[in-house]
Amino acid sequence: MKPASFDYVRATTLEEAVGVLAADDGVTVIAGGQSLLPMLNLRVTAAETLLDITRLEELKAVRETGEQVFIGALVTHASIEDGIAREAFGGLLQRVASKIAYRAVRNLGTVGGSVVLSDPSADWPACLLALDATAVLASASGQRRVALSEFLVDAYETALEPGEILTGFEISRRNAGGWGVGKVARKSGAFADSLAVAVLGRAGQATRIALSGTASCAQPMARVAALLDEEPGAQAEQLARAIRADITDAHEEATPYQERCHLHTVMSAITEARQSWS
Amino acid sequence: MELTLTINGKTETLSVDARDSLSDVIREKLNLTGTHVGCDHGACGACTVHLDGIPVRSCIVLAVRCEGSEVRTIEGTRGDDAMNVIRRHFHEKHALQCGFCTPGMLMMASDIIRRYGRPDEKQVRSELSGQICRCTGYMGIVAAIVAAADELAGEPAAG
Amino acid sequence: MASEESVSTADQWVGKSVPRKEDKRHLAGASNFVADIRLPRMADVAFVRSPTAHGRISSIEKPEEHADRIFLLTDLQPLHPISGGPEMATFRNAAYPPLADEKVLFVGQAVAMCIGCSRAVAEDIAETVFVDIEELESVMDAVGALEDGAPKLHEEWPDNSFVDATISEGDIASVADAPVKIRRRLKMNRQATNPLETRGVVAYFDHRLDELVVYTSSQGPHVMRHGLSLALGMAEHRIRVVAPDVGGGFGGKNRLMPEEIALAALALKVDHPVRWIEDRNEHLTASVHAREHHYDLTLYAREDGEVLGIEGTVHVDAGAYALWPSGPFMETSMAARNLPGSYRVRHLQIETHTSATNKPPIGPYRGVARPGACFAIERMIDELADELGLEPVEVRRRNLVGPELMPYRTAGGLRLDNGDYPQALSQALGMVDLPALRERQHRGEPDGRKLGIGFAIYTEQSGHGTAEWVKRKSRVVPGFETATIRMLPDGTVHLLVGIQSHGQGLETSLAQIAAQELGLDPSAILVRHGDTALSPQGFGTFASRSIVFSGGAVAKASRALARKIKSIGAHLLQVPLDQVIVRGGAVHCGGANVAMKEIARAANIRPEMLPAGLGPGLDVTETYEPPESGGVFSYGVHAVTLLVHPVTGVTEIIDYVVVEDCGTLVNPMIVDGQIIGGVAQGIGTALYEEIPYSENGQPLATTFGDYMMPCASEIPAFRIKHRVTPAESTEFGVKGMGEGGAIAPPAAIANALNDAFRGSGAKFLETPMTPRRVSDAVAGARAGEQAA
Repeated sequence: MKPASFDYVRATTLEEAVGVLAADDGVTVIAGGQSLLPMLNLRVTAAETLLDITRLEELKAVRETGEQVFIGALVTHASIEDGIAREAFGGLLQRVASKIAYRAVRNLGTVGGSVVLSDPSADWPACLLALDATAVLASASGQRRVALSEFLVDAYETALEPGEILTGFEISRRNAGGWGVGKVARKSGAFADSLAVAVLGRAGQATRIALSGTASCAQPMARVAALLDEEPGAQAEQLARAIRADITDAHEEATPYQERCHLHTVMSAITEARQSWS
Repeated sequence: MELTLTINGKTETLSVDARDSLSDVIREKLNLTGTHVGCDHGACGACTVHLDGIPVRSCIVLAVRCEGSEVRTIEGTRGDDAMNVIRRHFHEKHALQCGFCTPGMLMMASDIIRRYGRPDEKQVRSELSGQICRCTGYMGIVAAIVAAADELAGEPAAG
Repeated sequence: MASEESVSTADQWVGKSVPRKEDKRHLAGASNFVADIRLPRMADVAFVRSPTAHGRISSIEKPEEHADRIFLLTDLQPLHPISGGPEMATFRNAAYPPLADEKVLFVGQAVAMCIGCSRAVAEDIAETVFVDIEELESVMDAVGALEDGAPKLHEEWPDNSFVDATISEGDIASVADAPVKIRRRLKMNRQATNPLETRGVVAYFDHRLDELVVYTSSQGPHVMRHGLSLALGMAEHRIRVVAPDVGGGFGGKNRLMPEEIALAALALKVDHPVRWIEDRNEHLTASVHAREHHYDLTLYAREDGEVLGIEGTVHVDAGAYALWPSGPFMETSMAARNLPGSYRVRHLQIETHTSATNKPPIGPYRGVARPGACFAIERMIDELADELGLEPVEVRRRNLVGPELMPYRTAGGLRLDNGDYPQALSQALGMVDLPALRERQHRGEPDGRKLGIGFAIYTEQSGHGTAEWVKRKSRVVPGFETATIRMLPDGTVHLLVGIQSHGQGLETSLAQIAAQELGLDPSAILVRHGDTALSPQGFGTFASRSIVFSGGAVAKASRALARKIKSIGAHLLQVPLDQVIVRGGAVHCGGANVAMKEIARAANIRPEMLPAGLGPGLDVTETYEPPESGGVFSYGVHAVTLLVHPVTGVTEIIDYVVVEDCGTLVNPMIVDGQIIGGVAQGIGTALYEEIPYSENGQPLATTFGDYMMPCASEIPAFRIKHRVTPAESTEFGVKGMGEGGAIAPPAAIANALNDAFRGSGAKFLETPMTPRRVSDAVAGARAGEQAA
């Protein structure tokens, strides 16, 4: 279980990194490597050249302003777990980070790496989708911003263009209402069979709920979110109907078990969010 | 490729392949065989070492990424007072049988104690998630870590 | 029984929780596993493995640039097929070739081997080998495998059955009119043994000694040497097999595997050491698999809960080949013979089928067959209790073999030697406070989860010898163990044993036994094992046999040595032999004593000091087999309390009680470690571990991302109570106990789930009871309720 050969280059600045990417389309970016290296070891994926971006200090930053929070793509799960940006969204980021895989993996695994992979079961895509985050992308020709709902395209597929690097996420503070998380996994640290993150709207902002564990990427639960905005006191039966309709869209050909899990995690996330809100 | 890193306090310059994992280099190039490889895909924890002071799974870390870094393996902890307290509790509480997971467990244990001070049983179990032991059923390991943490905190061990 | 000599010493080491000698090297990171061996010019091996479950090999192409580093079966000749399985005319042979050359019979089967300067390079070369396989329809189900028209794995066989046999006792027809009949289909799915150290082999030819040296992560090097000798056609004295530190085995390292033969053969072809370290992917897809039992059982009972008979079929999905030496038949026959468990049921009629399928061969795994049998019978007992509206504990009580009936021959032909099963059940019941739990269950949990309590009782045949293995038609009969004890001139001791320890702590517990018999401290005794060049003939550690057999051999050899030591001591003290005892490192007579090291000095380097007629040296070899060859039975009761979520099916064990009796405990700390570790593996079987296959034979759990290994969060703390009923036929009254922990958990946990949903119609008849299976069972019962 050893990877096939590849070349390795290390960038120390973003400019250098996007330069390498622009010059050669056979380059794969590696950050924490906690998903990519197992796949390389198993030879289920291969790379011509790995571009190591772990020394790009500007991507490790967390910048908080009155309006928004910027989380660098290279911020590790562990540093969020340990309290970086703890106050930003009432502890939501910390809660999500602390349940990803295992500590030794969280020490190197990054938020950006998790989102760029767009694994259908991953934690961050659902969380950041529920927070309506914006992905910030850099390339030799400049920077662009893409809403996460558009950035995530499908399982293992994103809107990242050749030559682009994800540098981080901007999240509006306006979205910081009550939140809740529901997760079902076969055991501790395993990928989620279902993961739901609910962020209740505040001051006229829309409620957003996202679901991981589908056959594609993280999906919005639009109907139930809208219902909660229209009828904040909606009862369980009413919510369940909306959630079921959302699941039908979010997860094609879901097994009955997956449907039950999704319904459960979404409902749990909403319940927790309501409790944290009141 | 050339790689320079500090391993157990000593700076070494080695010739490595880009595809070598940190565990490959530790075991095959440096012949430090105390770091074990149980799965080679980051899921069992046997290969846990400290990279710049924090535990990582050396089978899913590229060696070349560690340029200029400080790596500590189980061999580098033999004179470490705190680790020797943890070792003594592992010995007394029957926290190992075949011994294959033990080096990774110890490297993780010292980090748990560093971060928590005096973790309770539930915290230790949660933090050990992802460190597989096939022999002991974890009870001795958990007890040893709790007791070692108590001793290192200067508190009388409970129970 | 303890001898007079041992009673007369003051050095009571048997029964003490002596911390282990093994720990120091492991804690320092200084142990030496196969992968840690460093030899000059050693090359790494990677295997080319079949991507196809069932097919005919049309051609294998070696690219020219690597041709000298790629080896096929024809390149490793001469090799001899070795047949595994019982020596029975009705058992069909299916020798497992070291490399496939005509057909491939499962995904992952080795087809070619490649040498590289590193494992990565060897894998690069392996990727260049093109294997053209004509794909055939695969056989993936043990029951369907035997249907007419099923494609055949072994074309010379009439069907896909290794062997069919009937286990029969009493007269099942006589109870066919019983008032209560319950029929259930149960299944225990396939899993891997997963020691944390995978298998591994280093092999080279030692020209100085003119011998082939094979380091292999094995549970029994002597038996492996014999198998290699047969496979290679090489004289046994020219083969040395070494099992260095072995990182767990659990049965999975107790068969001679194709990679071991292939590496040994390769070492005879190339002029440098070769190394293969199994990776986890290989372990999960091409190593020893285990379990996969199908049961279709009918239980006949009276209305008061007395069980009268068990009838039905057992299919074991044995995979493609028979592993050497024992093959898969034992799995099936033991499953059937253990179905009566610890109960007085007198009528048993079980048809057994051992099916060949396009999956890796099954082999032994901790508990061998009994986790399945225990799951089946203990689930049936709870199903019966449900049917009759009785507490499951009550139904057990009504059927258990009581101490007054011991020794008791079960309907499965097993002789339960002693113990008090009903009392053990009562003790477990006392530890869980069932009324309080029933009250809590009635109240319900605030988070909507369901509380369940489940019990299971098991027996564990251990220390069985010649007669039992001959009955099983075993081609290797592990009917004894050997110990050589050797006192060196300074009075310290080398204890060489044929047994092999891979985590069980035998370097400590065997030293305790020798220390007790010799009046020494265990620190003065060094136990060496695992090397055919060093230790006398033995069979290795499996079948809960080591403490009975090897412990017995050590006691016997130590006593013989002690006799000689006393002769010399009496002579040196100038007192009669019958007045001396050994104690505290000396031979004593009244107030006078002579130190052991003086005696050792005399015997080894000062022969003029010895009594006339007594030869020099302190070196004794003894073999041992307990007089009761059918084995002695440990037993126990497990009581588990769990919380389960009715929607997600996620289970959390909140309490686990074990009451067990393994006779005399040599090292209670080690015994508890074996129990806890065994139960943890049983919890893995019960709730997490599984290797499913797709319809066309692709394995669906090929990494630890898919194969769920329980971690500290999944395994609870345990409460253990020991009962001690010493065995009557073994040294010190010990019984083996290494496997028992793993036997009962699937049954106890399934019964607890059944309890949590009692009355709902949800059935828990298949392991592992993953969240999906539990959730589906509960939802299925709800749907059934609504439809009704």
